[in-house]
Amino acid sequence: MRTAADMEYGERCIISEVDSAHPSSRRILEIGFTPGQEIELINKSIFNDPLAFSLRGTLIAIRRNEAGCIKLA
Amino acid sequence: MNEQVIEKTSLITLVGPPNSGKTTLFNYLSGQNFKTVNYPGATVEYSICKLLGKFNLNANILDSPGIISLIPNSPDEKVAVESLYCHPQLGIPDIIIVTVDASQISRHLFLVKQLIEANFRVLIALTMTDMLQKKGLHISEKELGRELGCPVVKIDGRTGFGVNELIVQAEQSIEKSQREIIKQPIIFNENIDKQRLIKIYNEIAEIEKKVIHETITPRKIEAANKKLKIFNEPIGKQNRNSIDYTTLRIDRFLLHKVWGLVFFFIIMAVTFTSIFWLAQPIMHFIDESFGYLAKAVHDSIGVPWIGDLLSSGIISGMGSVLVFIPQITILFLILGILEDTGYLARGAMLIDKPLSKIGLNGKSFVPMLSGFACAIPAMLAARTITNKKERYLTIFIIPLMSCSARIPVYALLMAFLFPPEKAWIGGLMLAGVYIFSIVSSVIIAGIINKFSARIIKAQDNSSFILELPSYRVPKLRVVLTNTYYSVKVYLKKAGPIIFFLSIIIWGITYFPNSSPKVDTNNLNKEEIGQLERAERLSGSYASHLGKIIQPVMSPIGMDWRVGVSLISAFAAREVFVSSLALIFKVTGNNASIQSSIVEAMRKAEIGNTGRKLFTPATICGLIIFFMFSLQCISTIAVSRKETGSWRIPILQVIIFTSFGYFMTFITVNGLRAVGIN
Repeated sequence: MRTAADMEYGERCIISEVDSAHPSSRRILEIGFTPGQEIELINKSIFNDPLAFSLRGTLIAIRRNEAGCIKLA
Repeated sequence: MNEQVIEKTSLITLVGPPNSGKTTLFNYLSGQNFKTVNYPGATVEYSICKLLGKFNLNANILDSPGIISLIPNSPDEKVAVESLYCHPQLGIPDIIIVTVDASQISRHLFLVKQLIEANFRVLIALTMTDMLQKKGLHISEKELGRELGCPVVKIDGRTGFGVNELIVQAEQSIEKSQREIIKQPIIFNENIDKQRLIKIYNEIAEIEKKVIHETITPRKIEAANKKLKIFNEPIGKQNRNSIDYTTLRIDRFLLHKVWGLVFFFIIMAVTFTSIFWLAQPIMHFIDESFGYLAKAVHDSIGVPWIGDLLSSGIISGMGSVLVFIPQITILFLILGILEDTGYLARGAMLIDKPLSKIGLNGKSFVPMLSGFACAIPAMLAARTITNKKERYLTIFIIPLMSCSARIPVYALLMAFLFPPEKAWIGGLMLAGVYIFSIVSSVIIAGIINKFSARIIKAQDNSSFILELPSYRVPKLRVVLTNTYYSVKVYLKKAGPIIFFLSIIIWGITYFPNSSPKVDTNNLNKEEIGQLERAERLSGSYASHLGKIIQPVMSPIGMDWRVGVSLISAFAAREVFVSSLALIFKVTGNNASIQSSIVEAMRKAEIGNTGRKLFTPATICGLIIFFMFSLQCISTIAVSRKETGSWRIPILQVIIFTSFGYFMTFITVNGLRAVGIN
């Protein structure tokens, strides 16, 4: 299954689920990465990590590893 | 006004997500008259103030670090959440004012919903409604208030619009609350059902639909956008939550995989070089003024010891350090500008991956950068780091960042190495010292990370989740005021220490042999003065003390006089300069204090051997010593407080100071071996 870590520049996707097993999952939900929400990959830092997503009208940077727990529809 | 309210001082707590305009509102309510100052990077402590008299409400306002949820994730969030549930002195707040960015309500209402669910009495201050207007949208505060069941007031913390109404509303809510039974707030814990979080977000989405309306027809916006040549997107749900276009465009460069890093290094380089270049002329002026003042005081006071105390002790001592205020001011100013534009968060993102390789976090970037101003606010700023191990490691290496207290020392030593007409080489060298301090701290962090199991003793999930705020043109007034307060805090902290130590060092170098007998045959007045000073010093308390530490100083090519200065530098590093000025008895016989010290240093000899005390080798050695050794008592105390035990501060003192001594030993003897002396 594709996750937010696999997204390309400028790609828009809808979140289907956030993997509860990941230790950062609660914070990721709290900051607004909720199922049904659309996200867009805006930037990748050097070494492609962290990734910056456009979410609910703001930019949020999260690590690639953390983006991996955001499953896409 | 209700009598009860007059009797009792109410407590209003300000809460809000980061970048929601909370601190701006707090500054407006307090008139900048609060107890703790916002250091670069974050509000890390609570700030508390009395509400300004003009609002006619007897209340204390409490500001705390920004939070996005009532379940804290890092020590600074913990401070904020705990201040809500049980502030140690003030108890539970009578009312909570939550700042909510109107253009971000889909995220910012999350905290509001949690606060209401937890039984807190909430009043919403809706900020940045102008941003929403630019998007052609309008938010109805009445409808929002009805949906949430709490009062909502639109405000602008920069102009003060709506703030009076906010306070009136707060007063009404407090009065109302006193007639009701107080419900104990519910504490949320980490094991919260994640479905509940999702449910809150779904409810917010419903509310958002009801309260936000379009002000103008889509066609008009399209036309307006075309005129401005901005992108034309179909108006609708997406546009509500689109990011500021300028921000996206700037980030295309500043967050670019390659260019982003280039810009990062350019910005850092410009920051540090401008500290030296811009400050030069002002420093020169201050330096000469103090030199002139010292000479005037010395010549006009009849009683020798009082004249000496005032000119050599107090004026030269204070002046030798105050000279560096311009550099420190510029450093604070640049940090403030970088923070206000929104770049610091980007810097943290760019550097996250490299830093994670050595056991740090992107969020270590701001504390490390603040460390170049002062280690104390830097250690507090490390509270934003979620992971305990990364936080402790950041605190561990912060003393290696070249703090502003070291600027006076380096500047003096550089002035010794390079004559005034070649000051630019000194500037470059100073930049080199900064680069070297960064490189060495990275290496040391890497080494300590390897042994982290033994040294740091903490394991946690490593995480980096950070909001990148929209770029803004920095508000000069805000940046200048913050810089002013930061410099004031610096002076308040360092000033008294330098003052008292200057007097103590003056005392131990002047007494007990205060009026020595010297052979005055065939000597002019100035030569007699010099001879007397030398005689007085060799019989002084300082010299007795110095004999004890001589064995430690000899291997690194220095004598007891440097030793005494180094010991006094443990109170604050910049005292090193003032104590050198005192020990080598610099009076205002030269135009500027700095050049007088340098001149005295050039003349100084080791004992009566005729060998020069200060040579390029020993000066380089001193620079190295100051780069590594942990010589600041306040830093040690804060490190103890922030890590909760003596373990880390003691290790820091032992490792850094012995390493500094060892490196100095190698440098001095190495340089001598290759013939530089």
